[in-house]
Amino acid sequence: MKFHLLLLAGAGVALAQTPASPTFESAVKPVLTKSCGTCHNSADLAGDLNLSQYPANTLVDSAKDLWTLVASKVRTGSMPPPDAPASARPSADEIKSFVSYLTSEIDRLDRAAKPNPGRTVARRLNRVEYRNAVRDILGVHYQTEVEFPSDDSSFGFDNVGEALTVSPVLIEKYMYAAERIARIAVGGDPLPKPALVEERRRAKRLTVGSTQAVDSVDYGAEYVLRTWVAGDLGPMGKPVMLEVSVDGKVVKTVEIPTAQTETTRVAATTQRINEEVRVYLPAGQHTFFARLVGEQFDRPIPRPTGRGGGAGGGFGARPAPSIFPETFDLHGPFAPTTMVPANPLISCDVATGAACVEKIITPLARRAFRRQPEPKEVATLVGIANRARTAGYSPLQSLQFAIQGMLVSPQFLFRIEKDPAPGEVAQISENELAQRLSFFLWSSVPDEQLLKLAEDKKLRAPGELDRQVKRMISDPRAESFAKNFTGQWLEIRTLDAVKPDVTKFPTWNADLKEDMETETRMFFEAVLKENKPITDFIDGKYTYLNDRLATHYGIEGVTGTNFRKVDLTTDQRGGVLSHASVLTVTSYPARTSAVLRGKFILDNVLGTPPPPPPANVPALDEDAVGKTGSLRQQMEKHRSAAICASCHSRMDPLGFGLENYNPIGQWRTKDGEFPLEIGGTLPNGKQFDTPAKLRTLLRNDDLKDFTRNLSEKMLTYSVGRGVDGSDRPFIKEIVDKMEQSEYRFQTLIESIVHSLPFQARRGDTTAATVAKAGE
Amino acid sequence: MFITKKALARRTFLRGAGAAVALPFLDAMVPALAGAAKPAPIRAAWFYIPNGVDMRNWVIEQDGPLGQLPRILAPLEPIKNEVMMLSNLTANWGRPLLVGAGDHGRALSAYMTGSFVSRSVTDLKLGVSADQIIANAIGNKTKLPSLEIGLEETRQAGNCDNGYSCAYAYNISWKTETQPLPPVSDPRSLFERLFGTDIVEAPADRARRLSMRRSILDTVMGSAQDLQSNLGTVDRRKLDEYLTSVRQVETQVQKAESEGMIIDPGMEKPFGVPPDFGGYFELMTDMMLLAFQTDMTRVATVMVGREGSNRPYPELGIPDSHHPITHHKKNPVLLEKISAINTYHVSLFSKFIQKMKATKEGDSNLLDNSMICYGAGLSDGDTHLHDELPTLLVGRGGGNFLKPGRQITFQRETPVTNLFATMAQRMGVRAEHVGDSTGTLKEVSLS
Repeated sequence: MKFHLLLLAGAGVALAQTPASPTFESAVKPVLTKSCGTCHNSADLAGDLNLSQYPANTLVDSAKDLWTLVASKVRTGSMPPPDAPASARPSADEIKSFVSYLTSEIDRLDRAAKPNPGRTVARRLNRVEYRNAVRDILGVHYQTEVEFPSDDSSFGFDNVGEALTVSPVLIEKYMYAAERIARIAVGGDPLPKPALVEERRRAKRLTVGSTQAVDSVDYGAEYVLRTWVAGDLGPMGKPVMLEVSVDGKVVKTVEIPTAQTETTRVAATTQRINEEVRVYLPAGQHTFFARLVGEQFDRPIPRPTGRGGGAGGGFGARPAPSIFPETFDLHGPFAPTTMVPANPLISCDVATGAACVEKIITPLARRAFRRQPEPKEVATLVGIANRARTAGYSPLQSLQFAIQGMLVSPQFLFRIEKDPAPGEVAQISENELAQRLSFFLWSSVPDEQLLKLAEDKKLRAPGELDRQVKRMISDPRAESFAKNFTGQWLEIRTLDAVKPDVTKFPTWNADLKEDMETETRMFFEAVLKENKPITDFIDGKYTYLNDRLATHYGIEGVTGTNFRKVDLTTDQRGGVLSHASVLTVTSYPARTSAVLRGKFILDNVLGTPPPPPPANVPALDEDAVGKTGSLRQQMEKHRSAAICASCHSRMDPLGFGLENYNPIGQWRTKDGEFPLEIGGTLPNGKQFDTPAKLRTLLRNDDLKDFTRNLSEKMLTYSVGRGVDGSDRPFIKEIVDKMEQSEYRFQTLIESIVHSLPFQARRGDTTAATVAKAGE
Repeated sequence: MFITKKALARRTFLRGAGAAVALPFLDAMVPALAGAAKPAPIRAAWFYIPNGVDMRNWVIEQDGPLGQLPRILAPLEPIKNEVMMLSNLTANWGRPLLVGAGDHGRALSAYMTGSFVSRSVTDLKLGVSADQIIANAIGNKTKLPSLEIGLEETRQAGNCDNGYSCAYAYNISWKTETQPLPPVSDPRSLFERLFGTDIVEAPADRARRLSMRRSILDTVMGSAQDLQSNLGTVDRRKLDEYLTSVRQVETQVQKAESEGMIIDPGMEKPFGVPPDFGGYFELMTDMMLLAFQTDMTRVATVMVGREGSNRPYPELGIPDSHHPITHHKKNPVLLEKISAINTYHVSLFSKFIQKMKATKEGDSNLLDNSMICYGAGLSDGDTHLHDELPTLLVGRGGGNFLKPGRQITFQRETPVTNLFATMAQRMGVRAEHVGDSTGTLKEVSLS
């Protein structure tokens, strides 16, 4: 029978004839009979799966994915379900040999199969990539996250080609964006009538007496900058100095009164005054900063104390008098009255004609198209400028139109890779490789160095790729990678959508939210740039905090608004599962959810997502939580339904492991009036009763799953497509390399970059293309 | 140069409070319509409500004239003679059928397409939505073929609904089987779609700029065609989406050129999203009303929330997320909250249709010349029922085509797309089917 199996499985490997070597008959069949066949049979067909028939030849290529899933379910203890009779329960040894036999057979089959790097669909630049590209090509900061509709995501990421669709609305937005970006970059348009400059800006108070705002103007011109100061220091307030700066340069210092006026007192309103200064601002983004001079103004902003005044929101006693710069206004543009610095983009006199336009547009197009533009492409852009000239536009304006054309052309907006012959696997070009690298690690276009290496065909020279990866990781542009990847892998972006109940959590506000994002991003950046082991994501005993977030965590000794590394000295926190960001996005507005948090761990940490709940499952009685019993008691009632138990027996204990953190991630020891019960017992019998023990467990028992999962997410993000069974051998290779290198994060990045899916693609085999093949 | 504080106050108001727009009177601005002999155009719009409703407070037992309205519909009392209640309609493709969980993603995307929702790992595939069937046929008559509005400006990260691409949970309008149209949720962005970005330009400058825009669009279409020749099937389809979108924008520019006139919206450009949902709803639907009134478009969809929406309603004393509440398990406290949210949405909608009615159009009014469907792809959000859908049809569809002021209960399992097919037909579109539609609902025009 052993012979029979090997024959059918297509194995050409001679097997050592030791009696101990496991076979399908000895390792798999007994478990299938004893544990699986009772439900997964032809009659019951639980989960649409029949495991009662087990001819040995089921373990072949076409069934690899299924057996992988079966092995994973048995390994994690999700199957057999908790309500299965003891007689149906496989022993630990049986589980071990079941899983190891299946895993090694699948692995063997994988290695024998023809490697398939998959295909990435033409990718439109998403909002972040567009923004970064324009910043890197033209130095213009354009707020695409406000101006463009959201991108759809698939497989958890918004850079997956299939979901990046195009609609007329988007083209309208691209046209308008390109017009404005070109105007800012070139500055050829006449100044419009002066008016209030309207932007969606947010003035951010940094200390008791200082405020900063970032804003952009479309025209290089003079503007009246008005600084509003709000509040007073009571009737006896003494004058103070107000200092206003633009882009770090002080533009005005003036003494302002702070005494409360009679009018303000009687009307009980906020007293406001303003100060103006006229400044020249180049087109683009600027930072405005105002501060009151004096030690008492340099202190951190006191946290709101107690509750925000109850239901009506009314305040009791008038708060202690305070005064601070509140916001800025810009009025303009006005014609410059002094010499204006030359625009470095305009490297020749455009009035001299097409040759100069060509000289300027060619290097821009090379950056924008991520390759040397063809003469025809340059001619097309110059043609646009010529038509504008003919229509009566100035030379500079005509150049703007050429740039506008460049920014709405498909060569800029789409990343299209050349297809190999149908079904064939071929390396992508060096140029395409340079683009994959830059969009992976910078979410932007390649820089000069990458482009040059690709053009000289040196990017694949020995050692060069690793050198480039190192360089790119240490570049500030890698912040985009940290932000986009954590934002989606750890779902941190959802912080923008959550609305914690501020009557219960009065310290929640936009600043705290931003701090939470910053912590997780900086933590990720540290693991990345300092090449730390990825186990730090699970239990790293350090994090990044400022005073506000430290207070939120109850950690003392952190002062000031700047983030810095803080060593975690207690068991309360460690790793991303104790970050307020993660804990908040996995909670409901008014309470925690062990299900959401447990599912988060299964989905995003272990990569063993639970199957969707079956239809018509009785839902948890959410509202009774904290009133008629603790969340746990409610959950246990829910879990006693057999249909739910197979998934929840794993999901819930994990979620309960984080019950010490409230819905905005603060440490707690009670839930409403009920004491907390932390953790529980996993299906494999392992127990834990603190978040710290959960972390230890994840790190010791589940490191392989975590590594595999992170590798899969990283591969999805880097190649812009979903990961499937044909990627299993590549993922395994990456995980093996990680094990050999102490799980260093940069090893993961390097392994991805060297993997076949990143380096190659397979030709389209659908009928339409096959018919066209031959080129 | 000391600008008064009043300027700031006004601006803060516009930005912060969301500026309920005082609707300007546009008769003078729309010479094409006012007093013209030709009949006014008919408009069709859809309002989609997420997460089902508390049907206990929605259902009316008796067919025929509307009497006492149930709690959720009570805000429609002043205008109930314009409202038709259509009961027992079904969105079959929202059901799990053989596919399993993912009811929310499917409820939204199957609603107006009447199509199977593909969960394939490589392809987005759905069907053409009812509004787009109409827009694809008659959209060339107006500046914008259709308008897609969303009232939820932020998104969840991560996976959307049980393996369905997020495209399904966030887009109700699908121009083709593979091309969703993202709703515009930023007020300024919507304003600029309608009224353009360059209101202050002199006519000659504007004409010249429009002609340059058209020329640029022409040029990039050429580039796309060049690129397309060497591509695989899916890549070619992506470029196709690009091409058709560019072409549509080019047509819009052409129309703007031939009109040669700029419509003054009579409102200030809004900034930011109003913090209160009511203000947000009003601001966005006011602009939609303006678009109808000035005949900038005749087709619109409004996603009041994405399906599975987690918006809390603190203004109603409900700080909890919407979606989890709707898994109410018959708990009276939760049902009460659901009813409150449902009633709130209807009250905002009621205000909107009252404004439509107050907007004169020739001898008639805007509402009389419209068909506005208000409904959901789920009835009970707890057990995810995709039949007995809560559905209202408001307005008279021009020339007293519709006979509102009553309830009609259809045979069970009547596809909701039959209603949409009826609307499409009234819009002058000869569509064989809207997704899984099996006919039209003649009853709506019989008194």
